[in-house]
Amino acid sequence: MELLNLYQNNYLIVFVFLCLGVILPLVALYLGKLLRPYKPYDAKYTTYESGIEPFHDSRVQFNVRYYIFALMFVIFDVETVFLYPWAVAYEKLGIFALIEMLIFVLMLVIGLVYAWKKKVLKWT
Amino acid sequence: MSSVPISAFLALALILFCIGLYGALTKRNTVIVLISIELMLNAVNINLVTFSKYGVAPAITGQVFALFVITVAAAEAAVGLAILIALYRNRKTVNIDEMDQLQG
Amino acid sequence: MDLETLLSYEWGTMAPEFIILGVATALSLLDLFMPKKVDRRILGWLGFTGILAAIVALVSLIGHDTTSILFDTFRLDGFAKAFKLILLAGAALVLLLAIDYEPKEGMKEYRGEFFYLFLTALLGAMMMSSSGDLITLFIGLELLSLSSYILAGMRKKNLQSNESAMKYVINGGISTAITLFGMSYVYGLTGTTNLKEMSLILGNIADPQHVYILGLAFFLIFIGLSFKIASAPFHMWAPDVYEGAPTPVTAFLSVVSKTAGFVILLRLLLAIFASVPVQGDGAEPLPLLLRMQDYLAFLAGATMIIGNVIALRQRNVKRLFAYSSIAHAGYILVALTTMSYFMFDAIWFYLLAYLFMNLGAFAILQLITSKTGSEDIGQFAGLYQRAPVLAVGMGIFILSLAGIPGTAGFIGKLNIFMGALIREPAHFVLVGIMIVMTVVSYVYYFGLFTQMFFRPAADDSKLKLSPGITTVVVICAAATVLFGIMPNLALDFFHQNFNGFSDFLQ
Repeated sequence: MELLNLYQNNYLIVFVFLCLGVILPLVALYLGKLLRPYKPYDAKYTTYESGIEPFHDSRVQFNVRYYIFALMFVIFDVETVFLYPWAVAYEKLGIFALIEMLIFVLMLVIGLVYAWKKKVLKWT
Repeated sequence: MSSVPISAFLALALILFCIGLYGALTKRNTVIVLISIELMLNAVNINLVTFSKYGVAPAITGQVFALFVITVAAAEAAVGLAILIALYRNRKTVNIDEMDQLQG
Repeated sequence: MDLETLLSYEWGTMAPEFIILGVATALSLLDLFMPKKVDRRILGWLGFTGILAAIVALVSLIGHDTTSILFDTFRLDGFAKAFKLILLAGAALVLLLAIDYEPKEGMKEYRGEFFYLFLTALLGAMMMSSSGDLITLFIGLELLSLSSYILAGMRKKNLQSNESAMKYVINGGISTAITLFGMSYVYGLTGTTNLKEMSLILGNIADPQHVYILGLAFFLIFIGLSFKIASAPFHMWAPDVYEGAPTPVTAFLSVVSKTAGFVILLRLLLAIFASVPVQGDGAEPLPLLLRMQDYLAFLAGATMIIGNVIALRQRNVKRLFAYSSIAHAGYILVALTTMSYFMFDAIWFYLLAYLFMNLGAFAILQLITSKTGSEDIGQFAGLYQRAPVLAVGMGIFILSLAGIPGTAGFIGKLNIFMGALIREPAHFVLVGIMIVMTVVSYVYYFGLFTQMFFRPAADDSKLKLSPGITTVVVICAAATVLFGIMPNLALDFFHQNFNGFSDFLQ
């Protein structure tokens, strides 16, 4: 029972923070609206782009190559998930894990060579 | 601080799984569907890690399993997105209900 | 772990897997570095040789004792050997089809990839059949799935192929997540991923609450895996994917992938859920698996009905075969549901027969559809006038699929009937549904038959046979008739070499 109380109290703090987080910006924005003068004209309604005149739509389509790069990145990035525990427990695992990891990295290298030959790594 | 009971984790995983399943079955946009599938797989990860820490017989195996699930999920998402790109090049849509070439 | 323990394992028992892995790696490198103008079909023949070598290695291991490597993550038992034979034979025949595959727009630079993706998918299926650990089983399942997603979308410029791959990925992803969710509960209740330890721990389960969670896990795992075998409730992807995917891939999905699905289903269900005692109404506690029989029976019946009835209104041949393959999954599920002494025999033999009759039919289907680019059933019209040998071959396969005496399909169905009737209490309803649905299936199978033999052909041009397809048709027809007339050849081989899978959990 005591555990449950403790558990609920923990969430009480979370709830208080949630309320604070919601109220704070609301109050701040409302105060600002009360204090500031209101004099609109056309130039004020344009999109602010660091002082440069905005010249096209704000929604830009990315080149599809970004996705290919992102896919490559995700694959190789996630594979390091296996390298990390091995590196941490290297002393304990010994030669067996070393051999296994060499095979694993070799497979990754083959994947990289594949991407290279298929010209995925080139931008143009 | 281990005051959070195991049932809370399991409930979280179950809710996450149900949200993912709902999203995967109802959304139109394929990217959202793929994200929903990731959500379901991450619910599995929460389950596995919870059991590996607070389960009947705590052991590291659950975390190892979770690592494998993470990598496989990444591979699956990559394959899914690659196929989606190929499809988009031919069909110019990512909406599931417009993939209607095959039916009968 | 030091080098000594590492070397003490009998790595030789993994020879078939190593061969497939080596050939797949070599093929991918060769495909990259070979000059562009070399015909990539040579890679297909290399892959075919590799599979043959793996079959030889596996056959030489048949007499070998049960061995286990690295805490059961790899194990060579009778079960693994028996089903790996089917998987390898199926993959070899599919590779022959793939070598001869020529879509209208050509394969261009993708032909090499075609072959080694088949091999990696095969590797995944083989790992599924010979592993005793949840993690490795899951990795094998995903290796097979991921490779087949790409294979289904191989024709990158073809909209139908893209779409079928996309549907396959989405359905596959959902089903994988469902299976995994079930697995995570099983892991949570046992604290181990080793199937053997699991069954020991679950044998002493006392808390009735845990049994409910296990029941939930059972359904999650079964429903998720029903995607792989294309049975209800996860069958809807099959017609779309089968229609859009390249024909050799369709053949692969309907034979090798389905076999692998049944293999992992048997492993998981029998290892995990057969040992859980549940206190029922009677005095004797029953295993959880037997208590689930009614639900399994319902799904098997639904699968048979859906597959056969919807197949009736198909005009597209590939869709027709997709629904017929759903129906066949239903028949095999009947054998699984009844759990008689003959369960393993019946399932193994049916999968063997199904391998030959279905692959043979797909070989002919590929030849006819790739010539015209149309998959309408009318393309089969007048096949007897155009190519009598092919028509007779297709006739044998269709008779076998329909289950006419004298063919392997008949013996397979007979085994399933016997298994279902020998149980106490006998599953009369299920057998009844199966018989009625077999009769319904005659309608569409003989529809094809009349097209081939009694309708005039649209064009009388002779069909040109390629060596790969001819080989597949001849082998499959011979095997279908042989196992239909002398089924004991296969069954005796099965009984003598695999000890009835008594080493399933040792």
